[in-house]
Amino acid sequence: MPTPTLTQSIVITLIQCLMVVIFVFVVVPLTVFAERKVLGHLQQRLGSTRVASGHVGFSGWMNRRMWKMGKVPVISYWRGIPGLVGDVLKLILKEDVIPAKADKFVFFLAPSISMVAAIVVFAAISFVPGTFFTFPTWFPYLGGLPVSGGISDINVGLLWILGVATVGVYGIVLAGWSSNSKYPLLGGLRSAAQMVSYEVPLTLSLLAPVVLSSSLNFSEMATRMAVGMPVWALIPQVIGFLLYLTCGFAETNRLPFDMPEAENELVAGFHTEYSGMKFGLFYLAEYINMTVVSALASAFFLGGPWLLPFGLQGLLNPYLPGFLSWFTEPHAIFFVAKIVFLLFTFIWVRGTIPRYRYDQIMAVGWKYLIPLALVNLLLAAAIRCFVV
Amino acid sequence: MEHFIETIGRNMFAIFGVLALVGALIMIGARSAIHSVLGFLFAMLNIAGCFLALEAEFLGVAQILVYAGGIVVLFLFVVMLVEMSKKHEGEVFQLQSRYAVLAVAGGVALFLGVFRKAIFGAPSPESLVLRPELAKGLDVAHQNAQAVSRGLFADYLLPFEILSVILLVALVGAVVLAKTERV
Repeated sequence: MPTPTLTQSIVITLIQCLMVVIFVFVVVPLTVFAERKVLGHLQQRLGSTRVASGHVGFSGWMNRRMWKMGKVPVISYWRGIPGLVGDVLKLILKEDVIPAKADKFVFFLAPSISMVAAIVVFAAISFVPGTFFTFPTWFPYLGGLPVSGGISDINVGLLWILGVATVGVYGIVLAGWSSNSKYPLLGGLRSAAQMVSYEVPLTLSLLAPVVLSSSLNFSEMATRMAVGMPVWALIPQVIGFLLYLTCGFAETNRLPFDMPEAENELVAGFHTEYSGMKFGLFYLAEYINMTVVSALASAFFLGGPWLLPFGLQGLLNPYLPGFLSWFTEPHAIFFVAKIVFLLFTFIWVRGTIPRYRYDQIMAVGWKYLIPLALVNLLLAAAIRCFVV
Repeated sequence: MEHFIETIGRNMFAIFGVLALVGALIMIGARSAIHSVLGFLFAMLNIAGCFLALEAEFLGVAQILVYAGGIVVLFLFVVMLVEMSKKHEGEVFQLQSRYAVLAVAGGVALFLGVFRKAIFGAPSPESLVLRPELAKGLDVAHQNAQAVSRGLFADYLLPFEILSVILLVALVGAVVLAKTERV
């Protein structure tokens, strides 16, 4: 296998970045679309499960056909697509209002900090351990070179993800402050307090995989958590998964923890004064953060690019015959499938559980989640000490 | 092209260092306190970049995690909550004390005296390591965290723990100072 020169490796890295951006910008609009549809079904919201382009085009044809067959066309997957198009058009075309007394520079800066902090996290996430694919030899300039599964699989990848994710809180706080208005300021403060407090159990719940796998490297952790664990590690993994997911909901400000923008208390929270694509960046950042949380949960607890969750893959015979051996190998498609499932869980929970009160959120975080995370960490340490 | 990229790669440290200085200057010179905090954040992120350029990933990421993620957020809180009066907006540099200037000049001279060799001298042939036996059996470039933890939790455990006690004392002191007497 040829070793790439410096320029070639930079070009490969740029291609990887491009792939990640494409991944994000495919997943995010689809999640928005799915959110409307799933919520529509869960809560009987009529529009998003039925709206179609009327009588023209393919969906119009299907619409008429299904009515003719005597069915209400609800289940059809493309229903609601005009809603998605409308969403995007509104974000791009809406007038960009800047409050007269806003701090203009910070007002511009805040959404971009949110967005950048959300997307830079992907630098350390590896979708599949080792080589993702190899360029065919006829490919110009890059022929025969391997493309690894992550942009930069540094030895402290997990810390990088946590560190950059904390920078995202600036976006929200600064947005709240720079709008120079009461509700955004309150929303920003609330959100910062919530995110800072939930970072503690979140990090503690991620420490259990660190202890079990004795590494901080993303792909190494994912590999060891999936295939290198004894049976006993199942318990801390399941507890840790639930803990992590709960804290992940709070970190991404999703329902039932969406304090920063609790509509009936704070109008729309920190982004009340934002409109147009600046609001769109916050919107994007929220969904990218959801994707990141899902990616971490699926990598460390659900087996990542392997098929089976919670380290069960390690119990599987790795030498299955024939086409079955495909299922024993790591594939990026498994990883993405788990991410998509967890994104669905985000929406599912949003449609099911009502919002907590603010003091309840803080009580849950400090009084229950942190002690539980500590006990879980102790359990993981005991397994690491006595079993592994 | 190859040569150009290699030059940039070799000078990453200098680039991040200059950017960190720019951030520090913004911090000192900005009119609004929030802009100062943002300058500080910029400086901290660039110092993390310096560490990354030196292949000290753990330190770089810890810099982001602790300073950018924790301390600067607290600064931001304080600045946001305490309404800064805009009386002194005109005076950017408050040279209220000649002694302060003297002290800073003395400090700069002392700093240059101590680090003269490190800054202007020739680079040393081998890297400076405090205790080389700590890194025995470790590939330090790829096991940053392990190398740091060996020092912290094996050889320098007592100073490390004492440092955390000092932080605890500061915390208790802050609580005592901030607590108002309730009848």
